[in-house]
Amino acid sequence: MARLGGPSCDFPTLAHMRIVVLGAGHVGAAVVEALYEEHDITVIDTDARRLAPLADRYDVHTVEGNGATKSVLRQAGVEDLDLLIACSPNENANLVAAMLVKKLSHAKVLVRASSMEYLEAWREREIDVDFMVSSELETANAILGLVGVPAARQTDVFADGRVQVVEYDVPRDAPPGPVIGRPLREAELPQESRVVAIIRGDRMVPARGDERIEPGDRVILVASPAAARAWSEVISGEAKTVDDIVVFGCGQMGRTIARVLLERDIRVRLVDSNEARARDAAEELHEARVFNASAFDADFLARERIGAGTAAVFALNDDAKNLFAGVLAELQGVHLTIALTHDPRAVDVYDRAGLDMALNPRQVVAEELVRFAHDPRIRQIAMLEGDRFEILDLTVRPESELAGRKLDELPHTGSVIGAIIRGGTVLFPHGADELRPGDRVIIFVESERASLVERVL
Amino acid sequence: VRTAPRGVDVGSAFDLVGGVLKWVGGAFLVPAAVAVGYGEAAWPFLVSAVITVGCGLALDQITGEKRGAAVGPRESFLVVALIWLLVPVFGALPFLIGDVPQLSRPVDAYFESVSGFTATGATVLTDIEALDQAMLFWRQFTHWLGGMGIIILAVAVLPRLRVGGRQLLQSELAGPTEIERFSTTIRQTARRLWTLYVGLTVVAILALAVVGWTGMDDAMTPFQAVSHAMSVIALGGFSSKNDSAAAFVPLTQYLLLLFMILAGVNFLRLYRLLVQRQVDVVRTDEELRLYGAFLVLGSALIITELVAGDFAQGEEAVRTGMFQAVAIMSTTGFATADYTLWGPLAIMTLLLLMFVGASAGSTGGSIKVVRHLLLFKLVRRELDSSVHREIVRPITANGVAVEERSLRSMVVFVLLYLLTFAIGALALLLDARFGGRELTAFEAIGASAACVGNVGPAFGFAGAFGSYAPMSDLSTVVLTALMWLGRMEIIPVAVLLARTYWRG
Repeated sequence: MARLGGPSCDFPTLAHMRIVVLGAGHVGAAVVEALYEEHDITVIDTDARRLAPLADRYDVHTVEGNGATKSVLRQAGVEDLDLLIACSPNENANLVAAMLVKKLSHAKVLVRASSMEYLEAWREREIDVDFMVSSELETANAILGLVGVPAARQTDVFADGRVQVVEYDVPRDAPPGPVIGRPLREAELPQESRVVAIIRGDRMVPARGDERIEPGDRVILVASPAAARAWSEVISGEAKTVDDIVVFGCGQMGRTIARVLLERDIRVRLVDSNEARARDAAEELHEARVFNASAFDADFLARERIGAGTAAVFALNDDAKNLFAGVLAELQGVHLTIALTHDPRAVDVYDRAGLDMALNPRQVVAEELVRFAHDPRIRQIAMLEGDRFEILDLTVRPESELAGRKLDELPHTGSVIGAIIRGGTVLFPHGADELRPGDRVIIFVESERASLVERVL
Repeated sequence: VRTAPRGVDVGSAFDLVGGVLKWVGGAFLVPAAVAVGYGEAAWPFLVSAVITVGCGLALDQITGEKRGAAVGPRESFLVVALIWLLVPVFGALPFLIGDVPQLSRPVDAYFESVSGFTATGATVLTDIEALDQAMLFWRQFTHWLGGMGIIILAVAVLPRLRVGGRQLLQSELAGPTEIERFSTTIRQTARRLWTLYVGLTVVAILALAVVGWTGMDDAMTPFQAVSHAMSVIALGGFSSKNDSAAAFVPLTQYLLLLFMILAGVNFLRLYRLLVQRQVDVVRTDEELRLYGAFLVLGSALIITELVAGDFAQGEEAVRTGMFQAVAIMSTTGFATADYTLWGPLAIMTLLLLMFVGASAGSTGGSIKVVRHLLLFKLVRRELDSSVHREIVRPITANGVAVEERSLRSMVVFVLLYLLTFAIGALALLLDARFGGRELTAFEAIGASAACVGNVGPAFGFAGAFGSYAPMSDLSTVVLTALMWLGRMEIIPVAVLLARTYWRG
């Protein structure tokens, strides 16, 4: 039984911080649980009944009221705040609170959101918060990992989308293959791609020819869109077998899971007993097959050969329903059942009933928030922003001393040229390729070296 | 004190019709000017103008005090039907009071006028060139006025239609416009449509005139350039030549072909392409792709018959084959050759193309390409859901889900269209039987399809260079009704026939 979620405390702790947590629900409670020992925490919620148990159990301040208002934030001591974790279920309230805190203090802000639109706007740096995380998206990525498809953590695009910077988490149980476990120079890497760094634990390993990609690593690549897809298959090692996943429940969660799977070219079937919800999902996700049927209808499950799918994901609005539907699907011959929980205790119930995986979306998102709160840099490796690594998009000056030299001959500093755009075409260079004046290069660098690289090129 | 209307507010509907008629009267000044220019009698047009404006004002007076500018969605059906019924009545006046022997009978004059305003292009004239230049011009001008729609023009310019214009525009704009997302106000949409319409017409006039001026086509005088440009952009089909497009050289025919294809595209899309430079909107348009596919398929079938049956060879086969396929499918009705003499494969293809039509939001008639697209998708969904009973599969057009309600009304339209066509053909045959005249089944089918589809020429005596003159008066009335129904896309009329429409 795999369990995802559960606060993790294996991160190095930073100095004592003043933290405000917005929202005292499951996520807020998990965040408080993980952070209260080292930090000074104030919890804001509109409902005193949710605040009371937290105040009883942990040594935290509580403020009752709307956290998206200045007066309540002031009451919570916003002036000398270090960190806001806005994790209420209402993403709009979270965002408003984050905007206010940004104005009123110098604190870092973490926001829980669910809309893909907000996440995309944040990635494009149009929403000014330090970190944004969505239970839906994190859960969907976790499911990708569970069914054996590496989750692409982040994609940045350059050169009109012809060059992508992608990070993959190699599954921990990934078997050795033509790529995994072999020295990079011998590995059969997809064409039009270049490994620029491997992150093992919290350590960055330079992607030299004698280095290997190992299970559990996070790989940072510069690749063409096609190669990025090919990598997805290579890393999972079984992309062909992951096909046809049935998702029960067409709510925000079910739809996000379906979308993430569809983006990996995995066929998805969605099932919801509510006609309007099913239709909304069908209108939103054109490639998915959507059924208006009950997850408890054994005839339907048999007729549609649900058992033939790779996996079934249960994202219904009730743990008991997930349990019943999950067991029914097992009886229909589904090999892998993944059920989401609302109540953390449902994990044990699912386990006892024989479902394969339990996932608690609130715990998943709480874990992400806590990781960031513990050490922002760890996440920033993944983000490729901030103070450790950067992706630069530069043009080689004619007078640069590096112009005209082969990549092999360049000094080894950990910086990697991932792609060269020359005369409108994109090259993913090898050691024997030459750097020419006027080349536009996509370079992965350590941030402290960025200005040096800019000067030299 | 004004009492709230019970049922339909007929008064305010007539009030609006009167308001529109007042302005239509002004249209007669254009042919009057042409008449003066050619030294012909201008008085038939001036008298028509006076009568039309007079009737408009009278309607205004009769309907009493201004009953508020807006007409409701319910009245708009009546307004549309009345306008399309009455405007051609006034449009027929010049034929009746002027010196046009071929159109001296009201039935014929009204047929010709309806055919003009509905951009059908069916004629009862046997010798077109016998008409005065101004009369010829008026025929072409009725095409141009009706092509994009008098009501859409009214919505664009009349201040009183600021309110309630949406229903009017949707009930007149060809095709299911519910699937079109109007990103601007209705008034702005109407203005865009007319701007593009006028712009395209000017381009067509210039293109044709240049061919004439440079001596590449001696038959293409400035008068012919204006006449044919107005006819082609309206996808009408009237020609001021007895031989239609066959009177011109191949280069001119290619130009007309190009303009027919262009005018058969959804004008709202065309606006985005030509004015707003949104190339993607057009490149990914599903209707446009199917439109192209139909054109290619239709042309290929006809060219095959032309070559295999030795009706034409080489460049001529390609040109005439394509021209005829496009002319019939876009519901224009020009002809470069007498297709009635071609083999059965070509004739059958042409008959079927009459049921295709141009794109929604164009000036063409018939069923329209987008409805074929949606029907095809509906069939696929039915097949899918007969295997997978619980499947939820919205029908999309260009990636946007079409409401089930719109789909239902689309299916109903197609059924009503086919029913109207069938009743029309049967009525023609019944009349011929009791009138003791010769009419083959295929001629009846062709005439009914060509009129309800606003195509114009049919088969047999009413073919490429033929005329509907041999039809009896009763048959002429039937065909006039078919053109009227086809232009309004039947449903607004069918609604008027429903009892619930008139109840409170």
